[in-house]
Amino acid sequence: MECGIFHSTYEKDMALRHTPIEKARLALVILFLLIFPFVADNYWLNLANTIGVVAIGAIGLNILTGFTGQISLGQGAFLAVGAYVAALMSIHWGAPMWLTIPSGAIATALIGAIFGIPSLRLKGLYLAIATLAAQEIIIWVITHWDAVTGGVDALNTKNYLWFGGENHYFSEFQFYWIIMGLAVVVTLLTVNIFRTRIGRAFIAIRDQDIAAEVMGIDLFRYKMLAFATSSFFVGIAGALIAHWRQIVTWERFTIEVSIFYLAVIIIGGLGSVSGSIYGAIFMVMLPAILNNIGKALSGVIPTMDILIPFVQQAVFGLVIILFLVFEPEGIAKMWKNIRDYFRLWPFSY
Amino acid sequence: MKKFYLFAAVLLVVFAMVLAACGGGGGGEEGPIKIGALFDLTGPTADVGTPYANGEKGFVEWLNAKGGINGRQVELVGQDYAYKVDQAEQLYSQYVNQDKVVAFLGWGTGDTEALRGKIAKDKIPFMSASYSINLAKLDEAPYNFLVGTTYSDQMIIALKWVMDDAAKKGVDPKVVVFHHDSPFGESPVPDGKKFADDNGFAYTNIAMPKGATDLTPQLTQAQDFGVNYVVIQNVSSGAALLLKNAKSLGLTDNVQFICLNWCADELFIKLSEGAGEGVLGVMPFTSDFTVPGAKDPAEFLKSKGDSLENQGLHYVQGWWTAATMVEGIKRTLDAGKDINDGANIRASLEAMKNFSTGDVTKPITFSPTDHRGNDSAKIHQVQNGQWVPITDYLQSRIPVE
Repeated sequence: MECGIFHSTYEKDMALRHTPIEKARLALVILFLLIFPFVADNYWLNLANTIGVVAIGAIGLNILTGFTGQISLGQGAFLAVGAYVAALMSIHWGAPMWLTIPSGAIATALIGAIFGIPSLRLKGLYLAIATLAAQEIIIWVITHWDAVTGGVDALNTKNYLWFGGENHYFSEFQFYWIIMGLAVVVTLLTVNIFRTRIGRAFIAIRDQDIAAEVMGIDLFRYKMLAFATSSFFVGIAGALIAHWRQIVTWERFTIEVSIFYLAVIIIGGLGSVSGSIYGAIFMVMLPAILNNIGKALSGVIPTMDILIPFVQQAVFGLVIILFLVFEPEGIAKMWKNIRDYFRLWPFSY
Repeated sequence: MKKFYLFAAVLLVVFAMVLAACGGGGGGEEGPIKIGALFDLTGPTADVGTPYANGEKGFVEWLNAKGGINGRQVELVGQDYAYKVDQAEQLYSQYVNQDKVVAFLGWGTGDTEALRGKIAKDKIPFMSASYSINLAKLDEAPYNFLVGTTYSDQMIIALKWVMDDAAKKGVDPKVVVFHHDSPFGESPVPDGKKFADDNGFAYTNIAMPKGATDLTPQLTQAQDFGVNYVVIQNVSSGAALLLKNAKSLGLTDNVQFICLNWCADELFIKLSEGAGEGVLGVMPFTSDFTVPGAKDPAEFLKSKGDSLENQGLHYVQGWWTAATMVEGIKRTLDAGKDINDGANIRASLEAMKNFSTGDVTKPITFSPTDHRGNDSAKIHQVQNGQWVPITDYLQSRIPVE
């Protein structure tokens, strides 16, 4: 808590933003989000949309892993559930997007809750293995249940605005608004969950589950709820991928994706909504930046050209390690430190 | 606080480099003609992806030294994407929107299939190293062109040979398809199944798990099926592992193994360490480097201190794929049309009849109703560590559903 700020009412105490500077910063971010699509080309819009989708998925995972302390390696498969449900509904029933996206989310929430059942007995690494099973089982079902999912073949998602409408092709610009709109809604919902009884119960379970139970928190119910809420948001991200890319294949939802999302929230900041967003920006932008550096360097030293892709991968790993070494609590903490530094600047203690 | 300054400094440097990298901007009317490309140099198919990419790059360098296309230089804007679909989408989007490439040379099945909608929307003529029959569906992939014989057609060519061979030996063919666990691997499986059902012989497929170091369980499964012919749809490293395991099980003596094009290469012979002897390969691209079409690549590599024997047949394959695309662009320019409109290049390619690759493949012919430029392959056999042709061109062109 910052010194010099006193809350005289409960409303003020509960506010998400306390100072005029915080409010101004938020206004700047909103302004940037509104102006950005009009000045960016399709490549930057594509990156922004990727960040948006990853941020939604990462917020979902952070609810489970960062806030409730239940590690999950099933993220990739849960994304797949959302994507396949949305794609199949649009293909077979001609269902419009405003129906497929929430349906994908609800289906993922149900599946997530089912695979969350072992969490009552299992903790830590053991739970990680149980969720790894979820990952493998779901992908196995998708690739082998040919009659429904089409097996390993890709599904071509249709984007309908209404039942019986025409397949609508969205540009990156149009999808920007859908993705960012949903990202804002998911962010607001999540921030608010942690101002309620449910959110505090999640945090209590993470900090000490036995103590939480003694305090009267129904562990089974709240762990299930954490899995369901988390998977719901992950399902939104999955369904968005289906409609935005218009093609769904299991290759996009492998175990590597699960680990990627864990990396996003660890680097961004466990147990922080804004951290999920910073992590998404970082993990999407870093390879793109490295690609551009590699592209600029190619041809400079011709004999080095063949090494560039390998150097790129090594640098990617190195940067992540450096980040974790310098600030294990993630970018969210780093940002907080910078803020604190400038708050007192130039007269620090 | 010191570490923050350090971090801020590192970040600043990185961003400055990015800004410098992005500063280039799109190509003007008289700048180089830009062609986009995706390479797999570090991913699961890098073993064959690297020589193929070298072939594409080599062709462009050779062409530019000769004066480019009608005096205009060609720039190949390409990078490694590690066989990742997301990475492919990002690079594709960057090359098309920022670099303004006029055509594209791709690689994998999964990523090309994922991109085909965008390719159609952006009107970018696209030649992938994937010969999946899904990419020949004109309603879904109107800008994709296939230089190689489709995997499905290769499969039919292989199965027809199997039927003839089994009839000679007086046995009932029992075919098992071992395939890469991906859209690439699965691509020819259903069409092969249909052919087997129509001709009444036993047929099944077994996936080769990614990263497997031992395929004995899968081979045992095939043994239980009573297998006598195996068709492999995988890259060389996977196929070589399969053969080594099969040899230690004693399967190679009474089972005929047949590679489709991505494992029928020199690398397979090298990696299988003798276990590949007697294996057949369905090869749309020749491994014979005495044909006229291999002369330019061989001389070019020699001038670089390398050799075609070292790079292998996928080098020639990449070389001639790039050459076919460049020919389409050249014909568009010769006709006085604007190459920035992909529809014009597509029209030139669709008008291409019997384009000679110097006997590297059968001459390439596209048409407005079929983008399969090639429908033939010679069956080769590994004899004394060399691929030797044992048939002339065999042909198959099954209908695209």
